[in-house]
Amino acid sequence: MIKPEEIKMSTDESGKWGMVIDQDICTGCQACVAACAMENNISFVGEADSGYGRSMHWIRIERFWEGEYPEVKMTPNQPMMCQQCGSATCEPVCPAFATIHSQAEQLNLQVYNRCIGTRYCANNCPYQVRSFNWRDYERPEPLPNQFNPDVTVRRRGVMEKCTFCIQRIHKAQDKAKSEGREVLDGEFTTACAQACPASAITFGRVDDPESLVSQLAHRGHGVKHLEELGTLPNVTYFKGG
Amino acid sequence: MSDKLSRRDFLKLAGVGAASTAVLTGCGPASRSVKREPYMQMPEYTYNGLSTYYATTCRECAAGCGLVVRTSQGRAIKTEGNANNPLNLGKTCARGQATLHGLYNPDRVTDPIKRTRGNASGDIVTWENATQIVADALKNNKPEEIAFLMGMAPDHLFDLVADLANSTGINAPVRFGALNMFESRATLSKAAENLFGEAGLPFFDVGGAQVVFSFGANFLETWLSPVSYTRGFAGLREGQTKKRGTFVQFESRMSSTAGKADEWMPLRPGTEALVALAIGRLASELRGGSMPRAFADVDPLEAASKSGIKLETLEHLAEMFANSTGALAIPGGTALGQSNGLAVAEAVLALNAIADNFGKPGGVFFSALAPNQTEYQRSASVKEMQEFVQQMADGKFKVLFVHGLNPIFELPASLDFKNALKNVEQVISFATFPDETALESDYVFPDHHGLESWGYQRVATGSAQPVLSGAQPVVSPFYNTRATADVLIAAAQLASGKFAEALPFQDEVEFLQSKISPLMSEADGFFSAADIDTFAAYFQQYGGWWKLSDGRAVPNSADVLNRSLSSAEAEFAGEGEFFFVPFVSPTLAEAGANKPWLQELPDPTTTVMWNTWVEINPVTAEELGLKDDDVVTITSEAGVLEVPVYRYPAIRPDTIAIPFGQGHTAYGRYATALDENGKIIKRGVNPTDLLGQHFNEAGDLAFAGMKVNIKKTGKKQLLSRLESIMGVYGVGLGEEK
Repeated sequence: MIKPEEIKMSTDESGKWGMVIDQDICTGCQACVAACAMENNISFVGEADSGYGRSMHWIRIERFWEGEYPEVKMTPNQPMMCQQCGSATCEPVCPAFATIHSQAEQLNLQVYNRCIGTRYCANNCPYQVRSFNWRDYERPEPLPNQFNPDVTVRRRGVMEKCTFCIQRIHKAQDKAKSEGREVLDGEFTTACAQACPASAITFGRVDDPESLVSQLAHRGHGVKHLEELGTLPNVTYFKGG
Repeated sequence: MSDKLSRRDFLKLAGVGAASTAVLTGCGPASRSVKREPYMQMPEYTYNGLSTYYATTCRECAAGCGLVVRTSQGRAIKTEGNANNPLNLGKTCARGQATLHGLYNPDRVTDPIKRTRGNASGDIVTWENATQIVADALKNNKPEEIAFLMGMAPDHLFDLVADLANSTGINAPVRFGALNMFESRATLSKAAENLFGEAGLPFFDVGGAQVVFSFGANFLETWLSPVSYTRGFAGLREGQTKKRGTFVQFESRMSSTAGKADEWMPLRPGTEALVALAIGRLASELRGGSMPRAFADVDPLEAASKSGIKLETLEHLAEMFANSTGALAIPGGTALGQSNGLAVAEAVLALNAIADNFGKPGGVFFSALAPNQTEYQRSASVKEMQEFVQQMADGKFKVLFVHGLNPIFELPASLDFKNALKNVEQVISFATFPDETALESDYVFPDHHGLESWGYQRVATGSAQPVLSGAQPVVSPFYNTRATADVLIAAAQLASGKFAEALPFQDEVEFLQSKISPLMSEADGFFSAADIDTFAAYFQQYGGWWKLSDGRAVPNSADVLNRSLSSAEAEFAGEGEFFFVPFVSPTLAEAGANKPWLQELPDPTTTVMWNTWVEINPVTAEELGLKDDDVVTITSEAGVLEVPVYRYPAIRPDTIAIPFGQGHTAYGRYATALDENGKIIKRGVNPTDLLGQHFNEAGDLAFAGMKVNIKKTGKKQLLSRLESIMGVYGVGLGEEK
């Protein structure tokens, strides 16, 4: 039998992509949400289904209230997406190995054609960031003209979630490789970070101490959400204020 | 290329090609005429699997942010900000992202049509006929019987029509937009004129300030130039002054802008001028010296009792303002949309004189005029629109051309634009989408979508440099639409005589080049070129032309504090019990409701999607016996609405608020809803239905100057929201209040 201290967690940071989000300057404007939807071919579900909580946002802006009028305060807007956990709780519960950890990028992958729709992973995600295709949502012609050819279009019965725009990561890596160099810091970024008017989202290699995202992550006042669960999340938040 | 080329070398070269696609190209669909054809023969600039990127300008609002659109095999895939454009520096808002859902919207007007007014179906006419109809309309009516009503974008078309009007004597085009109404642009410009002796649109350098007091300006949502102001806000918080700046918002309902404030001051609506002057007085006392005349007459104690802000709080705010080396005060939005709006704007602008920040980093400027502009031009105020509608109702216009706005939806219902339209013999709409006004027109001659269009947009504010954002087609037109500029040029040729002389152009592109060619000889440009073809190619490639120097002007502040300023409170129309605050939906704005992903974006403060709600303080709701999703009737002197309740914790108990953006009866399937019989009905409501015709002294609508009554109907309508309602107000826990 394996003793708990012998369980190896993937704390190795090689090839690790990460994000830093500054909640102090996030204005909650939803530009990242729209950018994500456009980049990743995310379905809209309509009024009735969104009322059931079936909307497919891969990123959402959380805001909470503190206190009561007139001393009421809105907590700093909190963009929440898949935290690309180093030790993800969604992974071990999948009976089909549809959600797995990638060695190359140190990301939490979702393999759509393996997914059988048990929804165990969403049930086990402490961040509630996985969304399930409850239907084949209608996107009448000519809306599909907008589809990003780099991203799979999902159908009913499949779980999906933020991928850290893995198609952009691969594109940048391919290009760098063809030019015989490493991917440069800031050469590309995720759709949410690219759109953000306040530049509240920074994306890059957290294993490279020189990268902007590493420098920010080590500023000291960052927090990782639900870290106490041992999920080793890859997104650092600045509460600010 | 040498004859002998190994496969390896070829692949290397192809790799270079791949790398160079990242550079913005100025060719491709930007060639003179745009034809839509299948890729039987791939154009030389297109490679399978490789994207082409085009710089253009966003048309979702009139701010003029630059875009770079990724296209793949002739389809637009993704919009990004143009990193070169000094206004938005590579960033976009949600509406800019969703513009593709307008381009590929399933409900666009696909062909030129003739219709019986009010009838959704129509007969397709040819473009030749359409052009002839426009030509006849120009030629067969007296010049004073021809009117153009235009939106705030695009500017090149406005210039074309203005030129046509100038040389033929037809009425000068009138511009309007609901966003401008809610921004109170006329008030801002009038206040600047009164205080600085010069009309213009002020620019507030939020990024360079250390303390920002905003009176109702929702600059992180839709106000003036939200992407640029959001960048400024980020600068305030973390960057430019190396010290985290403080932000205080004064308004009766916490907007998503106020949600970011360090302190939110829920003052009693109408007391903004009083509070601003009281802070001015207290701050001047702290600063010492003689009391400026502007603040001499105000009594802080009275301000405290009337506004509901404690005197200690006012003193604390004044101290914060007086002791900062970078204080800035911004008037805007609801604070100006009241009967005393002009006084509020003057009082708040005058606060800046204490900080003496005019023309300094972190202070107040006049916005840089765009490169091809000589003086500030503002849109029509609602007062001016009222006169326009009256002229329509009086039958002064025989033909009305409408482009770029939807007046039936955007103007308050009390102006009764729809009814006045009946007295116009011929209404020709150039709408891209089947909106309410297009439905009430005789002809719809659809313009291309913004991403299929040529053009330029003047950046009215938000950038220190003078910027002219350029637009080019990023894809070939998807439908049988035609550029309105081309239709007008062709019609003017057909109409011959003075019309043909007014627009002596072969097409839109030649007109555009005639407008940008004077910039070639201007110094200090981002680029220059000796001939117009090269200049125009650069203009397309970079997405416009801008100067490298700061074009903002310094307001003359010599007399600001020496005039006496009014601290009068606002008067409210109607006998109602509650102050009524309509506000622009930050995600939908005036024209976003037909884009499905914008509908599905949660409102930043309430997280409601796809519908309209009324925000009521939970305590008030309890007194009225209201819970979430209860439908209430809201009655003002001008109208009645039925709308479900959202209990909003951050609003004054005597105030209610409704977002503007929904309530369409036309405008496509996503903007409307279907009843159980499949009939098209309204989605949500339009709060402007409650607005009466009351104005401030600058002619802007007193949209936040109404009082309304609420009545429970007993009906329920479930609002879709992203947040869970479990646990909120005890819902679902067996202890519901």
